[in-house]
Amino acid sequence: MSLKPKTKALTMLLGAGCLFLLAYFLLPLLFVLYESFLGTDGNLTVSRYLAVLQDNQFQNVYLRTLKMAVIVTVIAVFTAYPTAYLMMKIKSSHKAILMSLVILPLMTSPVARTYAWIVILGRYGIVNQTLSLFGLTREPVRMLYTEGAIVVGLLQLFLPIMVLNLVSALENVPSEVEEAALSLGSSKIGTFFRVIVPLSFDGLIMGVTLVFTGCITAYVTPAILGGAKVLTLATLMRQQALVLMNWEAATVIAVVMILTTLILHTVLKRFRPRNQT
Amino acid sequence: MKNSKLLILITAMVFIFLIGPFIMIFLTSFSSDAIMRFPPKGFTMSWYAKALNIQMFRTTFWVSLQTGLLATATAMLLGVPVAYANIRFNYRGKGTLELLFSSPAIVPGMVIGFALLRFFVYVSNIPIVIGLYLGHTAILFPYTVRVVSASLRNFEGDIEQAAISLGSTPLHAFFAVVLPNIRSGLVAAFILAFITSFNNVPVSLFLTGPGVATLPIQMLSYMEYYYDPTISALSSIIIVLTVIVVQSAEKLLGISKYV
Repeated sequence: MSLKPKTKALTMLLGAGCLFLLAYFLLPLLFVLYESFLGTDGNLTVSRYLAVLQDNQFQNVYLRTLKMAVIVTVIAVFTAYPTAYLMMKIKSSHKAILMSLVILPLMTSPVARTYAWIVILGRYGIVNQTLSLFGLTREPVRMLYTEGAIVVGLLQLFLPIMVLNLVSALENVPSEVEEAALSLGSSKIGTFFRVIVPLSFDGLIMGVTLVFTGCITAYVTPAILGGAKVLTLATLMRQQALVLMNWEAATVIAVVMILTTLILHTVLKRFRPRNQT
Repeated sequence: MKNSKLLILITAMVFIFLIGPFIMIFLTSFSSDAIMRFPPKGFTMSWYAKALNIQMFRTTFWVSLQTGLLATATAMLLGVPVAYANIRFNYRGKGTLELLFSSPAIVPGMVIGFALLRFFVYVSNIPIVIGLYLGHTAILFPYTVRVVSASLRNFEGDIEQAAISLGSTPLHAFFAVVLPNIRSGLVAAFILAFITSFNNVPVSLFLTGPGVATLPIQMLSYMEYYYDPTISALSSIIIVLTVIVVQSAEKLLGISKYV
């Protein structure tokens, strides 16, 4: 149903958007990339990269960030799949209510949502009070400013995205397929893993991509729940730039962050059966 | 029915996990205790009064509101024509351009803010607020393209063709036929983009400084120094406002299909 391409019309429609992104998005990014290779004497060098990549703290932080992203993504997949599957099975009026409960956190300020975990995991928070009520602990357990706290916060932040992606993937799986598998003697679990999961695989990979890259670049959650004690890539970058005024290191971390995200997007895209968005 | 019981259990836990924290914020926002403690003791509205009276929160609320409205409006002006072109036309290099238009959603927000700071504020000396506005516009752009494209896809192009064959110019047909028909998609795009901007931290992180901050950035820096329920109260206000906006948008426009 496409009209005949008209160069003039296209220039009018796309021109402003292209110019904006070239000037205020691509150009600054290329500048940072160029800057990351700039030596003190004005020549191009990889010395900034060597300084950062050989740094022990950076290596620890990078591995920790990846590790937490893997943990969050795995938990998200295993909890979101049953949730999305059940949401497909129930009455549509109930599904609508659950959908709005999934979307609500997604639309709410991440600062407010992460702050809630200070209340829950803090010294006098509900978890510690419950533990001491049952006599399980004598002193409050320190839960804030730990990797566990960040994982919990990230999971709450990104779980809705996984659920939404799986719900829309499962919507495209005809219920007849499942019924056919069941009537042909496949068990419920077998049907789920051999019929439902492969047919919703595209949504799964999409969800994994968004959650994984989201975890790696998230700033608010590690800033509030990890602080300076448990740094991640994002909080380390901010610390280097705004606290230690080490712009050289921050520039390199910025490039590392983009590269990691791009590689993840490219690698995970290969797993998608149909390349559609 | 053993499977369904397990399913229900997992789903219930997921929703408690998603919604529980909100209830926690509400409960502590009324606590008369100055330390956040569970269960909360007493009842007071004073944290709400305090939150609303802190000058920095008032100032930064306006910065966030203005940045959000301006950046969303700009992103809509840029994004609607792009969405229209991508749905109606096929042209050479379309794939490359679509990649360009979606790239601000892939590049980490922190890096976008950082790059704008390095390039504009240090190299060309432009005010930091302009950088803030540009950064927000860049990340909202792919958002508006995506949402408007989705609603254009549902719109039958036949009416537009009819208008053109009856003598309307394509430009006139666009304004008189296409735009009114995708009105709800446009409003949904505006609301979603505005909320995204209003809540954003990563892009703003490097584009705020002495004198210029957005509300979420200000809340973060308040939390570094104070540990009282003021933030609970402020968060409660923001959550209630978000619920009202999102729920009415859902009722009127079915916003969930665009998220």
